[in-house]
Amino acid sequence: MGEGRGRVTLAHGNGGRLMRELVRDVFARQFASSELDINADAARLSAFGGRLVFTTDSFIVDPLEFPGGDIGSLAVHGTVNDLAVSGATPRWLSLSFLIEEGFEIDLLARIAASIGEAATACAVVIVAGDTKVLPRGHGGGLYICASGIGICAQDLALGMANIREGDCLLVNGSVGDHGTAILLARHEFGLRGDLLSDSASVLPFTEAALKIEGLRFMRDPTRGGIATVANEISLETGFRVVLDEKALPITEAVSGVCDMLGYDPLYLACEGRVVAIVAASQARCLLAAWQSLPGGGLAAIAGRIEGGRRGVVLRTMLGGERFLAELEDDPLPRIC
Amino acid sequence: MIELEAAPSARRWVIGGRVQGVGFRPFVCTLAGEMGVHGWVRNWGGLVEIVAGCDRARADQFLRRLLSEPPDIACPEFVSAEPCLYPASGFRIMPSTEGPGAALLPDQSACEACLREAADPLSRRYRYPFVTCTQCGPRYTITRAMPFDRGRTVMADFPLCAACQAEYGRPADRRFHAQVMACPDCGPRLTYMAGKESVIGNAACMARAIDALREGAILAVKGVGGYHLLCDASCDPAIRRLRARKRRPAKPLAVLFPWRGPDGLACVRRHCAPNEEEARCLTAPARPIVLVRLLAVHGLSAAVAPALAELGALLPYSPLHHMIAGTFGGPLVATSGNVSGEPVLTDPDEAELRLAAIADAFLHHDRPILRPADDGVVRVIAGRARSLRLGRGCAPLELALPQHVADPVLALGGHMKVTAALAFGGRVVVSPHIGDLDSPRGLGLLEATAEALQHLLGVRARALICDAHPGYTGTRWAKARGDLPVLCIPHHHAHASAVAGEFLEETRWLCFTWDGAGLGEDGTIWGGEGLLGQPGAWARVASFRPFAPPGADKAAREPWRSAAALAWAAGIAWTPPARDTALARSAWQKKINCPQTSSVGRLFDAAGAFLDLVHHASYEGEAAMAVEALAETGAAMDVALPLQRRGDGVWEADWAPLVAMLLDETMRAARLAAAFHASLARNLVDQAMAVRDLHGDFAVGLAGGVFQNRLLSEAALQALTRAGFRAYLPAIIPCNDGGLSFGQVIEAAARQRGEA
Repeated sequence: MGEGRGRVTLAHGNGGRLMRELVRDVFARQFASSELDINADAARLSAFGGRLVFTTDSFIVDPLEFPGGDIGSLAVHGTVNDLAVSGATPRWLSLSFLIEEGFEIDLLARIAASIGEAATACAVVIVAGDTKVLPRGHGGGLYICASGIGICAQDLALGMANIREGDCLLVNGSVGDHGTAILLARHEFGLRGDLLSDSASVLPFTEAALKIEGLRFMRDPTRGGIATVANEISLETGFRVVLDEKALPITEAVSGVCDMLGYDPLYLACEGRVVAIVAASQARCLLAAWQSLPGGGLAAIAGRIEGGRRGVVLRTMLGGERFLAELEDDPLPRIC
Repeated sequence: MIELEAAPSARRWVIGGRVQGVGFRPFVCTLAGEMGVHGWVRNWGGLVEIVAGCDRARADQFLRRLLSEPPDIACPEFVSAEPCLYPASGFRIMPSTEGPGAALLPDQSACEACLREAADPLSRRYRYPFVTCTQCGPRYTITRAMPFDRGRTVMADFPLCAACQAEYGRPADRRFHAQVMACPDCGPRLTYMAGKESVIGNAACMARAIDALREGAILAVKGVGGYHLLCDASCDPAIRRLRARKRRPAKPLAVLFPWRGPDGLACVRRHCAPNEEEARCLTAPARPIVLVRLLAVHGLSAAVAPALAELGALLPYSPLHHMIAGTFGGPLVATSGNVSGEPVLTDPDEAELRLAAIADAFLHHDRPILRPADDGVVRVIAGRARSLRLGRGCAPLELALPQHVADPVLALGGHMKVTAALAFGGRVVVSPHIGDLDSPRGLGLLEATAEALQHLLGVRARALICDAHPGYTGTRWAKARGDLPVLCIPHHHAHASAVAGEFLEETRWLCFTWDGAGLGEDGTIWGGEGLLGQPGAWARVASFRPFAPPGADKAAREPWRSAAALAWAAGIAWTPPARDTALARSAWQKKINCPQTSSVGRLFDAAGAFLDLVHHASYEGEAAMAVEALAETGAAMDVALPLQRRGDGVWEADWAPLVAMLLDETMRAARLAAAFHASLARNLVDQAMAVRDLHGDFAVGLAGGVFQNRLLSEAALQALTRAGFRAYLPAIIPCNDGGLSFGQVIEAAARQRGEA
C-alpha cells in the first residue's frame, strides 16, 4: 500500500486501542525477548535470582504544578507505583530532565524540592540523572523521564495469567481525581479547593496486598483510568470484567465536574490508586486491610471477573448494563 | 398405465413469494381435488413446488386460480414452469425438502374464525389462548429452521392429540396442515405466578391475572414476541408505581384496548379520536401501536402520556391478548417488559429475575419465544401510515432491491433503534427492532438476529456494512470479527439512501437528513444536512450553522445544553436552569469537550429548553415531542432564517432568529412552538429552492428522526409540493435510525454497481 501506516496522532498516546497496536506492531516485534512483556508495568530481570524489577516512564503534564502535586512528585510517584504494583519494593530511581530554554530556575528548584520530598517519603534514592536543554518552542517547559529499580520476593508470581473467573476487583480509593484536577487546572477553570490530584505512592497498599494469599494481579490505573485497566485485563484474559456503579468510589466533586463537562471519570487518570484482582474469598480481607490504611477510607470491592464474553461492562445503579469500551480516538457523540 | 384424456401432460411449477406458513399447500391441495388435478405440492426451501397432471386448459386454469385466489395472508408469485413426468393419481402434500429462497413470515394476528371458535362455548378450543389455524399465529418468533413445518418450530415440543391430528390431516378442515395449531389438550398452557402463589390451568390463570389487574397490580404477560407489562390505564397509583419501578418518569406508555363494536374500535373511540387511516392501521392484521389523538376528556390516567396530546394505542393481536383485554373490559397500559435500554425479555426464568422489582405478578406460557419481536409503531403523517418501529406483525420485512448484490451482505444499522438487514440476490430482509447497543444484551440480540436471518434464509453474508462512527458498538463488533470485509457508510448517506430505496421511481434526490447526531464525512457531528445525488453518490449541499453544545453526548439528554450553546453563540442572554453552568460556559469558551454539530434534533432540544418545557430529558426525543405537542394548530407565523452559500459551496441556514423568537416573552408558548415548526419547514423549502436554482430538478426526500414530527413533516411536504417539488417521506421503512440498515444496503449495492 502506498499510504504506509499513516502518522502518529495524539490518540496513539491515550492508552487505548491505537496505542496498544502501535506498541505491539512497531516496537515489541523488534525487541522480542523473554524479559519483555508489553502488558506489564515493570520487567523482572533474569539476573540475581529474578529479584530485580525495572521500569521506565516519561512525564508530560500541563500545568507543571497542579492542586495536589507537580510534575516532580508525579514522576517519583509514577515510577514508584509501577514498581509497587509489580510487587516490588522500589529502591533506586534515575531522572532525566528535558528543559525548554527560558524555563524559570526558581520553578525548577521548587520541582526539585518536591522530587526530594517525594523520594524521601517513598524511601527511594535518586542515583542517576541527566539534563538536556531544548531550544525555545520545543518541549512544554519541562519533561521528566524516569527509570526505577525495585526488589521483589523471589517467589513472587503476580500477573494477569493468574486471574480466574469469580475473582474480585478492588480499588484503594476514589477514581478520576487526578484527571479532573488536571483538567480544571490546565484550562484555568478557576481553583476548586475540593478537587486535588490523588498523586501519591501506592506502596503501603501494594505491601498490604502482597500479604494476601489470593492476590492475582495489581495495576495503577493511570492514563485511560480504571475503565482502561479493566479493558486490558479483559483483552488479555478473555474474561468479562464487570464494574459495579454502586460500589465504585467517585467523590461528589469529581462526579459534579465530570457531569457538567461531559466526561466519564472511569476513563480519567488516577496517580495514587491501585487496582488489585484477588480471589473472591480474600476480597473482604484485603478491603479491611486497605480501609485501615491512611487514605484508604474509600477503598472498595468495585468489580468482578466473570465468564461469558470478553468485554467490560458497567452494572448501573438502575440495574442495567452498559459497555465500557476500549478508548478509541477522541470520543465523539453517539446518541441521537 | 395412465389413461390419456385430451392429451394430458404434467408440468412442474415453482411458486415464490409469501407461500409458507400461510396455508398455501393445503389450499393448493383442496383446489386440485376440486378441479380433478393429479400430482403433489411441497415446500422446497422457501419456495413451493407443484406438480400438476391434467390437460392443458385445466392446468392453465389451475395455475391462474392458485395465483389469484390464495388464502388471505398468502401472496404467491410465479417463478418458473417446466414439463415433467406424469404423477401418480390423486393429489398429495409431500414432505418438505431443503432448497433455495426461504421467505420469512412475520407473526400473524388472530384471524376471525379462530376468535369465533374461542368464543364458542361448544368448541373444544373455547377460551383457549393459543388457538391458531393456517391463517394466523406466530411465525418468525417460533421458527427454528425453514421450510416452515411444525417439526422445525417450537411446536415440535407439542405433539398433536388425536383430535388435532385428525383436523391436520383432513383436506376440508381449515386446520389442514396448520403447522402451529394446538388445543387445550396438546398445546401450550398458561401459568400464573405472584410471589409464592402459583396457579395452573388456563381458565384459573386467566381469572387470577384479571383479578390482579383489577386490584391495580402490575402484570408481566408473556405474549408472542416477548413480555409486556400491563396495568389498568385508568388507575393512577398503578401507573405511577410502574413508572417509578421502571424508572421511566415521563416516556409515554402504550395502551391496549379491548376489541369492541363491529369495527373493533368502539373502546378506542371512547378515549381517542383516530382518523380514517389511523383506524385502518389499528385494525390492520399487523396490529401495530398507532399514535392517535387523545380526546380532550379522555378518561385515562394523566400519567399515561404526560404533556402529550397523543397516545400509542394498540388493539389485541393474539388470542391471549384478546382474552385479557376483553375480560378486563377496559384500556390497559402495555409497555415492553424489559430493563431500561435493553431488549424485551422472552424467557420466563429471566423475566422473573429481571422484572422481579417491577412486576407484581406474571402470566407465563410454555410456548418458547426463540427471538423477540417488539410491537411495531406507526404514525399517520400526511394521510399515510409511516412506520416508526418495525416490529411483530410487519417484520422481518422483505423488499426487492433496485439492483442485485453480487455477494450477500449483512447491514448492522446504527447504535440506537437498531435493525439488521440481510441482502442477497435481488432481495433484502430487514429484521424487527433490536434496540440500543449500549448493553451486552443489546449486542447479544444483534448477533442472534444476524445469525437467525442468515440461518433461516439459508444465506451467509460475505461482507458486513456498518455505520462510519468508530465508537458504535456495531462498528466495533464488525471490525473486531476480522473474518469478513467491513464497509463503513456515513450515517446520513444511509438515511438518504433509505428514502431513495423506498421510492424507486425517482432517480435524483435532494434528501434532508435531519436527526440528532451522526458522524459526518468531515469528522464533525451532522444532523441538519441536505444531500444531493443518489445512492452511492451523495454530496452535501445544505446544512445548518454549526453550534457546540457543552458536554458532547450529555447534550442528547440535557436540552438546556443545546439552548445554552445557541444563546451563547448568538450573544443572547439566557440563564440555564442547571447548577454550575459557569463551568460549562467556561468549557464552551475554551472548546473543551464541546464538539460542533449542525443537528436539527439538537435545535428541537434547544426549543424545548427555551420554552421551559424540558431541560433534562428522561427519554430520547422528549423535548422535541413536548414542543410538537405544545404547538397550537392553525396558521402559524414564521421567521425567515438567513441562508448563505459558504466557501465550500454548501448553503448554510442560520438558526439565530429562532433563538430571539423563542425568547420573545410577549407571545404565548403555544404560538412560539408552532412558529418554530413553521420556520424550519419554510427554511427547508428555501434550501431546496436555492439548490434547485443551481443544480436543476430533483425529488425531495425527508430522512432522519426529526421527521417523525408530524407537524414539521406535514408543513414541509405541503410547502414543497406547493413549490413544485415531488416530495417523499418514508412509509414502509422508519425514517429514524431503524431505517439505517436498509439504507446501508441500498448504499452498498449502488456503490457495488458503480465499481462494476
